[in-house]
Amino acid sequence: MTTPLLEVKNLRVDLPTERGMLHAVRGIDFHVNRGELLCLVGESGCGKSMTSLALMGLLPRKAVRTADHLRFDGSELQGLPERGMAALRGARMAMIFQEPMTSLNPSYTLGDQLCEALRAHRKVSMAQARERAVYLLERAGVPQASDRMRQYPHQLSGGLRQRVMIAMALMCEPDLIIADEPTTALDVTIQAQILRLLRELQQEFGMAVVFITHDLGVVARIADRVAVMYAGEVIETAPVAELFARPTHPYTQGLLQCIPVRGKTLPGSRLQAIPGVVPSLVGTVQGCAFANRCTHVQAACAHTPPYVALNARHAARCVQAQSLAEAA
Amino acid sequence: MTTKSPVPLTTPTALPAPPGSDIALELCALHRSFRLKRGLFRAPGEIHAVNDVSLRIRKGETLGLVGESGCGKSTLAKMLLGLLPPSSGSVLVDGKEIDPRHRRALARRIQPIFQDPYSSLNPRRTVADIVGVPLRLHHVGTAAEQRQRVREMLDLVGMPERTHAQYPNQLSGGQRQRVAIARALVLRPDILICDEPTSALDVSVQAQILNLLLDLKAEFGLTYLFISHDLGVVEHLVDRVAVMYRGAIVELGTREQIFARPEHPYTRRLLASALTPEPGLGIPDIERATMA
Repeated sequence: MTTPLLEVKNLRVDLPTERGMLHAVRGIDFHVNRGELLCLVGESGCGKSMTSLALMGLLPRKAVRTADHLRFDGSELQGLPERGMAALRGARMAMIFQEPMTSLNPSYTLGDQLCEALRAHRKVSMAQARERAVYLLERAGVPQASDRMRQYPHQLSGGLRQRVMIAMALMCEPDLIIADEPTTALDVTIQAQILRLLRELQQEFGMAVVFITHDLGVVARIADRVAVMYAGEVIETAPVAELFARPTHPYTQGLLQCIPVRGKTLPGSRLQAIPGVVPSLVGTVQGCAFANRCTHVQAACAHTPPYVALNARHAARCVQAQSLAEAA
Repeated sequence: MTTKSPVPLTTPTALPAPPGSDIALELCALHRSFRLKRGLFRAPGEIHAVNDVSLRIRKGETLGLVGESGCGKSTLAKMLLGLLPPSSGSVLVDGKEIDPRHRRALARRIQPIFQDPYSSLNPRRTVADIVGVPLRLHHVGTAAEQRQRVREMLDLVGMPERTHAQYPNQLSGGQRQRVAIARALVLRPDILICDEPTSALDVSVQAQILNLLLDLKAEFGLTYLFISHDLGVVEHLVDRVAVMYRGAIVELGTREQIFARPEHPYTRRLLASALTPEPGLGIPDIERATMA
């Protein structure tokens, strides 16, 4: 068995707030293999973005990150000084954010920013950097790439900006890309193009991707494997086809039932909504965090549920995982 | 939708429907352009945000309006609500032309629900206060009757009693949208303009709000103009669909027509790019999908 590129064990992120300590990420385990696309899916406040920032070492200053381990390509990221992390970031792990306008510098040309991404980490000439930038812009589907190098971010449409962000993330040939809702701000036709591009480049360059989204349609189409998050925990993980065919955790089941699907949901019929709201993560959560919204709740749910392995690649954090999996 | 309309719905026309028909809302050749200043030495340009749009919405019908950002959906909604005067053309409610200067009369018939309930709810007023504002503005009933009506409305949208004295920042996103819906319905309008009402909500909450909209429509016989970019939601909710592209309606048809037999290339392109939650299908190649 090959070792995974990224291995996360018992990751926790705590944020002090006025109302007390917010446990944004509450002890999650997951791994990403080389060349694999893992989707972290969940609703707002489930801790998916905090997880990605924790991996990149980009958490807000007051946030506290702890973990049993956080291994990237065999070496531990915890305790790595900021300089060591900065050397990795952008070079071996790169990030693509939701809103490219806030991550591109408005006062520098695209060419300057793309070349900087490479020259910060590698000893290459400006000419070599420019050559790579133009090549990657072209690969990312930016028309007239060499002319665009002189343009500023505001001169581009949202879709083009996201293509530039992808090109920038690829400048140093990273092993891992973390993409946090990269297409949420885009129109559907542009979204499909950007996702397709990301998937093609990922396969071509053999990168691993952690793809963060709330959109189950996107998950279904792009993921190799999925980790479903709820209230700061990973509550189910499975290969994509298995997750959609045999969702096991009651939250995953509920999520999949509440979106209307063509050919399955009768138009105009009532949708299966999940009652109630997500619990507050300020203070401690007793037992299963989903218990107050779950239709299968029983006495045992008052204790922290175990992570039940249903097979080698499918696990769910629910006391009834075994029986629910058999019923599914 | 059992009764057949005596006036054609599928071929939009710039002529208003005859009086007494079952058309709740009609747009006749509605047009709105914006002037663009392009610097000192260049002639100002003009953008036709909504270009000659004619549409009829039957009483009790849900019409979906789909299109991508910048296609003119929201400009259209603003004109229907009297928030933006049209450059030309007219809006008719129940066969009577609406003068956008008489916003108050219009508000009794047409009410909006917007995407982001947080920015449309006054943060310094309580939930009950917010829902009561339209009643006070329109002098409907006594203070006691107003309070009663507000309570009934909040009850109907599923807001428990204890939330009535709370402020918007104490509510979840779904609850805020429920408050916005209660406020929109408190004057008992006939028509709701829903502009991306669930886009800012999580999917589990979206289902709750969509169910609520379906229930309210059944209860009050409401007419909805449902503006959304989410084709799955549109297909679930609407009777007919209008596809908008660059300010114009490029295709109009029943749900079955649009989703099963789209004709306009842009409609096909939109449908091809919708990502339904079906693994194994991969990410669509839109260029190829729309060639066929």
